[in-house]
Amino acid sequence: MAQPLLEVHDLHTVFSTKNGNVKAVDGVSFEINPGETLGIVGESGSGKSVTALSVMRLQRPGKILSGEVLFQGRDLTKVSEGEMREIRGQDIAMIFQDPMTSMNPVFRTGWQVAEPVRLHHGIDKAKAMAVAVSMLGKVGIPTPETRARDYPHQFSGGMRQRAMIAMGLTTTPKVLIADEPTTALDVTIQAQILDLLRNVNRDFGTATILITHNLGVVAGMCERVMVMYAGRVVESGPTVDVFAHPKHPYTWSLLRSIPRLDAERHEPLKPIAGLPPDLIDLPSGCAFHPRCQFKVERCTRDTPVLNRVGETQLAACWVTQAGVELKGA
Amino acid sequence: MIDPGGVTQLELPGPAIEGEARRPAQSYWNESWERLRANRIGVFCGILILALALVAIAAPLFSQFVTHFDPARQHLSDNFRSPGQPYLLGTDELGRDTLTRLIYGGRVTLGVAFLTVALSLSLGTTVGLVAGYYGSWADDILMRVVDVFLAIPAIFLFILMSILFRPNAITLAAIIASVGWGGVARLVRGEVLSVKQRDFILATRSIGARDLRLIFRHLLPNVLPVLIVAASLGVGQIILIEAALDFLGLGIQPPTPSWGNMLTNAESYFFHSGWLVVFPGVTIFVTVLASNLFGNAVRDAFDPRLKTH
Repeated sequence: MAQPLLEVHDLHTVFSTKNGNVKAVDGVSFEINPGETLGIVGESGSGKSVTALSVMRLQRPGKILSGEVLFQGRDLTKVSEGEMREIRGQDIAMIFQDPMTSMNPVFRTGWQVAEPVRLHHGIDKAKAMAVAVSMLGKVGIPTPETRARDYPHQFSGGMRQRAMIAMGLTTTPKVLIADEPTTALDVTIQAQILDLLRNVNRDFGTATILITHNLGVVAGMCERVMVMYAGRVVESGPTVDVFAHPKHPYTWSLLRSIPRLDAERHEPLKPIAGLPPDLIDLPSGCAFHPRCQFKVERCTRDTPVLNRVGETQLAACWVTQAGVELKGA
Repeated sequence: MIDPGGVTQLELPGPAIEGEARRPAQSYWNESWERLRANRIGVFCGILILALALVAIAAPLFSQFVTHFDPARQHLSDNFRSPGQPYLLGTDELGRDTLTRLIYGGRVTLGVAFLTVALSLSLGTTVGLVAGYYGSWADDILMRVVDVFLAIPAIFLFILMSILFRPNAITLAAIIASVGWGGVARLVRGEVLSVKQRDFILATRSIGARDLRLIFRHLLPNVLPVLIVAASLGVGQIILIEAALDFLGLGIQPPTPSWGNMLTNAESYFFHSGWLVVFPGVTIFVTVLASNLFGNAVRDAFDPRLKTH
């Protein structure tokens, strides 16, 4: 099989604090091919954003301890800062969670959308502005010529997120990393932005990494999903299979904690018991074991590794790897 | 009977929603400018300072066509003349025309004030931006340097410097700025620390901008409001410091006239020829008051949250 476009291999990123090292990303591996959409799911603090930032080497003040980020065969953890700057915004673009703060309030929107092309393609202002205006039009901003002259505060949240997406796309990057692109938007706008991302993915052939804690978004958008817990990948596989037959108790509990329209009304939601772990002082063995209702003795002792469970999925769980089905009240 | 055609003639209240009806692009700068323009006292003071600056710049024209005197020219037979003709504001002990000297003195005093502000702002801003953006050891080192400069007793520094070099306008500005830049650096650093937390800084790094571009193109405009406020409030203070130094003989040296050193000699003749004290004194008073009021107006315009009333 051909080499994947982006391949992350055993990535470790830590943050030093007074109380010890926080292992924000602890041995994460994944790959993504052109035109593919990969979802990274997990609760706050599970390391999904830091994983994305580490790919772009923007994890400061964190440090990448070890691991490889192979982009078209080049290890991004080893290239110079200058080469990395060339890749950022040109080959890999990123969209952030809060469109209210991710645009510079003092510059006109068009100017900001045009900035990546000007930085990377070395074309003059007028041409860059033309690219920006046409891209603003493509992401569904009405009268882009006029709106490009507006300041970010004159845009609504959804329009700003569209503008951010336009900004990411002006250089036709090969990878688009969207870090919770819809979390700060209301539901109707979320749907529009997700539609837009899907079209981008289809029309530009961009590989998209979608980071979210919203399982519904993953179900609608991503071919493959990767579930993270405490800085580690606990399960990954095709979205359909993972959602239908989760092979890790965390994924299983996560899916049961979502409200469903087809559930009985009196049936209470089942939150995951306990709290997310302290990343400085992780539980021994499997980090999820204190909250896990399937745990066996081995889980408190040995850290499970990601292994094939079932036809298409990988899971880091001793229980399911031993062939036990996850079922429960 | 309801006429179905009537529906099409329905008129909607309010203006039609069209492209043209949209509020024009209002940037932060436009809005601040509007607020500043609405402040009458502020506008008046701003115009007054501008007028004083223009008069000072055009000093040779004034001495040529208005007062017809040279600032250094002595008319010993005409000393201690009271205000009147041909010496509009009288003459001093050497028979020099007070108005001409005030105008030339304004060149020096205002020149030193603006130069000082420019120097302390450029140095302070650069240090504050770098310290705030890079943080860690760069921040520690630069801010300790600032602490050292802020701990030097200003008046001793001024005395020492005036002994080491006989100050002219440029060295005097450098000396005063060497005390003032530390405060600006602290102010800017504090502002940068809050601005750099915002996502757009990370977003700008994610499109591959280099640090210099980030600092000067993206961070600087965001700290500009505090700089503008600091600058407009600083002018008045510096005029006062400069006048005090000149008065004490530590600043601009005679025969070059400045508002401060015109007072030095006048002090001996206060009861004899009071106008020699009154005119430079009032000029300094009015200029400083105007600068402060203008500075307040600018602050209110650029940072409405700080408005005191």
